[in-house]
Amino acid sequence: MSSRRSSRSRQSGSSRISDDQISDLVTKLQHLIPELRRRRSDKVSASKVLQETCNYIRNLHREVDDLSDRLSEFLASTDDYSAEAAIIRSLLDY
Amino acid sequence: MVDSLFPSTEATVDDASPESRRKRRRISETAKETAESSEINQESLKRWRTNRVQQIYASKLVEALRRVRQRSNDGGKITSAAREIRDTADRVLAASARGTTRWSRAVLATRVRASLKKHKKAKLTGARKPRKDTAAERKRSKLPAVERKLKILGRLVPGCRKVTVPNLLDEATDYIAALEMQVRAMESLAELLAAAAPRSTLTRP
Repeated sequence: MSSRRSSRSRQSGSSRISDDQISDLVTKLQHLIPELRRRRSDKVSASKVLQETCNYIRNLHREVDDLSDRLSEFLASTDDYSAEAAIIRSLLDY
Repeated sequence: MVDSLFPSTEATVDDASPESRRKRRRISETAKETAESSEINQESLKRWRTNRVQQIYASKLVEALRRVRQRSNDGGKITSAAREIRDTADRVLAASARGTTRWSRAVLATRVRASLKKHKKAKLTGARKPRKDTAAERKRSKLPAVERKLKILGRLVPGCRKVTVPNLLDEATDYIAALEMQVRAMESLAELLAAAAPRSTLTRP
């Protein structure tokens, strides 16, 4: 099993990336990124899709940072989050 | 099967489910990988998009935050609250993946390394140094635009700098879906807290 794995990685781990792989990657990513889903055209270049993907991930990172900031403001007043945790648990109803 | 639970240095294809793993052993041609990777994409979407997953994440996050805050209070040192929350959120998110994806394992591994290095007061070697993408840099790298952007994508997804293109796609797909869930969960938490704590002096639009 390990020999099969290493042979596959040797084959696909080469520095030359096939065009097929790239176009496959591009079409799949296109469906994930809201920006590109809206446009729905097949003429989006690979470079653009990759750029939008990177931008999207960076945006998501930034949103998480902002949300962490907001949450820290709500939770800053208490040293112990037990009260908040109880509230959230009851509201999540889980 | 145990191998896939541990981060490996060679570029192996990671699976999202045991069924995929079993199927993979029988199949040796890479042509079948495309069919499976789309299956993995579907798995990723199902894994991160349900409400239940989001709720579970939200409550796990709250619990983890409580424990972290308790620990830092006992320790006596004050860490930046936002940073603490962000790190905890990432850690819980990665833990939710249950070791099935490369990015989640990398996130958890980095945290262990980071906490060890902090005690030694050494600089993090894993820290990314920001590098301006100047024209000179671009000329020096001599890579086509697409390959350069693939590299950037590989840097954005944790633990995926030297990963094959199909792997990177799977990891990025899962990572994006997970991040989206993280954002939704934290947003709903913020809304809950805003609604439940009207005594707060902060006004929110």
